[in-house]
Amino acid sequence: MTTDRRPILLMSPALLWLFGLMVVPCLLILVLAFFRRGMYGGIEYTFTLENIALVFDPLYAQIFLKSAWIAGLAAGIASILGYAAAYAIAAMPRHRQSALLFFAVLPFWSNYLVRTYAWIVLLNREGLIVNLARWVGFEGELPSMLYTEQAVVIGLIYNYLPFVILSCYAPLSRLNPEISEASRDLGASGWTTFRRVVLPMTVPGIATGFVFVFVLSIGNFVTPALLGGGQFQMIGNLVYAQFLTANDWPFGAALSMVLIMVMLGLLMAQATVADRASGGKAGDNG
Amino acid sequence: MTTPLLSLRDIKKNFGSAQAVAGVTMDIHRNEFFALLGASGSGKTTLLRMLAGFEAPSGGDILLEGSSIAAMPPNKRPVNLMFQSYALFPHMTVAQNIAYGLEMDRLAKAEIKSRVSEILEVIQLGHLGGRKPDQLSGGQRQRVALARALVKRPKVLLLDEPLGALDKKLRSEMQLELKRLQHEFGITFIVVTHDQEEALVMADRVAIMKDGALLQVGTPREIYEYPETRFAADFIGVMNFLPVSVASGGYQGKEGPLIRAADAPELAAGSAAVAAIRSERLGVETQGENSLAGEITDIAYHGLDLLLHVKTPLAETPVISRLTADVAERLAPEVGQTITLGWSARDTRIFPA
Repeated sequence: MTTDRRPILLMSPALLWLFGLMVVPCLLILVLAFFRRGMYGGIEYTFTLENIALVFDPLYAQIFLKSAWIAGLAAGIASILGYAAAYAIAAMPRHRQSALLFFAVLPFWSNYLVRTYAWIVLLNREGLIVNLARWVGFEGELPSMLYTEQAVVIGLIYNYLPFVILSCYAPLSRLNPEISEASRDLGASGWTTFRRVVLPMTVPGIATGFVFVFVLSIGNFVTPALLGGGQFQMIGNLVYAQFLTANDWPFGAALSMVLIMVMLGLLMAQATVADRASGGKAGDNG
Repeated sequence: MTTPLLSLRDIKKNFGSAQAVAGVTMDIHRNEFFALLGASGSGKTTLLRMLAGFEAPSGGDILLEGSSIAAMPPNKRPVNLMFQSYALFPHMTVAQNIAYGLEMDRLAKAEIKSRVSEILEVIQLGHLGGRKPDQLSGGQRQRVALARALVKRPKVLLLDEPLGALDKKLRSEMQLELKRLQHEFGITFIVVTHDQEEALVMADRVAIMKDGALLQVGTPREIYEYPETRFAADFIGVMNFLPVSVASGGYQGKEGPLIRAADAPELAAGSAAVAAIRSERLGVETQGENSLAGEITDIAYHGLDLLLHVKTPLAETPVISRLTADVAERLAPEVGQTITLGWSARDTRIFPA
C-alpha cells in the first residue's frame, strides 16, 4: 500500500512558509504575555498571569468592548450595503458582472493610507462634505465629522466594503434562478421569496463578509489613529502603544492574545454557519 | 360546447429581434394530458414559461376558463410548474419543500400537515420527509418536485422535461406513473419534451413545435400515422424518405417500379416529391401494392426487433426495414442476401419536395 504523497508535497511549501514566518513568531510574542515586565522596559522571565488579568481590568475591557462595538457596527453596515450591491451585480447580465466587480475591488489597488488620508480631506471642518452642506443651503455651525467615532466607522466600512461585496456575490451568483422562480410559482411574493429562499441560501456569504470586516476592524489601528484623532483608542491602537511607546511588550502580548482568541472564535462560528447552510450532508435521516 | 380550460390566442414572444414563439393558437381541455414536442430552440419552453407567468407574451392572449391571465404574476396563477432542474430548496427538508406552496396559500397548519403526508404516500416517499434534497437520488428528487407542484392542486400543471434527467429504465416507469397521477388527481398536465417516445406514450394529444410555431396538433396516433409535414414525419419514429417525381398513377424513384400511394396530395405531374414509409411498414413478408427487391447491406440487432438496411434501385441511401424478433428468427437474414420488400399504398405518405 502506497499512499499518494503528492498533496502533501504540494502543500508543504506554503504551510512551512506560514508556520515558520507567521505562527512561530506570533507564538514567540504571545508567550511574552506570561512574563513580567522588566524595570526599564525589558522582560523579566518569571511566570505571571497579571498581564492577562490586566486585560480584563474595566479600563481595558471597556476599550475592548468599544472596539467590538465599532467593529460590529462597521461589519453590520458593510454587510447590508455589500449584500445589496452584490445582489444588484448578480442580477445584471453576465457580461456586465465582471466589469462591475472590477470596479468594486478597484480601491484595493490604491494604498490604504492614501485612501484613509483622502477621507480626512472629505470630513475636515473645511472639507468637501461641510462645503457641500453649505452650498445646499445649510447655515450655522457644523460639527466637525473628523475625529469622531462615526468617522472611524465610516472609514472602516469604506475600506472593507469590497470584501463583503465579493463574499456575498459568490453565493448569489451561484444561485440557480429557477429556485427563485419555483418560489414565485408556488405562490410566494418577491419579498417572501427573498426572505425564505434567497437569504437563507446566501447567508454563508454574509457571515463570511461580516466576520472578515469585524476581524479586520477590531484589530485595525490606522483608521482609528487617522480618522479618530489621537484621543480615540481602539484595541489595535492600544497594542500598538504597548509595543512602540509604552514599551510594555508582555501587556501588548496579552492584549493580542485575547484579541486573537476573539477572532478565532468568530471564524469558527462563521465556518459552522457555512457548513450548516451547505445542505447539512451529515444531518439525520429522520 | 364548453369553454376550453386553457386557450392560447396568437401568442407571440420576441427576444430582441429573435422570435421565440411565432403566433401559437390552440385550446387545451380539462383533464387532458398534453405534450409540447419539439427540438431545442423550437420555442416550447418559452411557451411553457409564458403559461407559468415568467415571460410576458409580446402579443396575443392566454385565457384560463375564459378570462385572461396574460398579465397575472406567477404567484397569483392557479398554475404550477415543475422545473427541469427540479429547483428544490436545498435548505429545506422534503416535507418543508412540499409544504411551502401550501403555506403561501395560508392553509391551516393541520391541513398542510395532512396534505403533505398524503402526497408523500402517493409518491411513495413517506419515510423520507425529513431528508434534505441532496440526500436523495435523482428519481426521488424528481418525485419531490412533482409532489411540490401537485400538492397545490393547480388547474394546470406544467412540466418542463420532467423525465429528462432520469436514466432510461426509470424514465419508462415514470411515464406510466405520471399518467396514473394525472388520472388520480384529475389535473390538466402540459408537458414539454424533446423525446418523441415520451410524448406518444403519455399524452392524449401532442403538438409538434418548430421555429416557434405549431406544426401539427393531434392524438399520438394521428401524429404518428398521418404526419402533415415532412418535418413531423421525420421527427417521430424511423421513416424512410425516397426522392420521387410525380408520374401518372404513381411516383417514380431513381429507378425501379412505380410507387403507389393512397390519400396522396394533388401534385403537378413531373414535379419533385418525397415518398415516406415507416420502417415497420416496410416488411419482408408484407403483402401490398408495392414491392421492391434489394440487397441487405447491414443488420442492426435491437433485441425486440431487427433493422435491415437494404440497398434498392429506388434511392442512393439504403431503406430501413424493421422486422420483429419472431420474423427475424424465422427468416435469418444475412448481409449480402437479396430480399423483396413489400408495403401497402395506404402506408405511403407523399410530401412535396
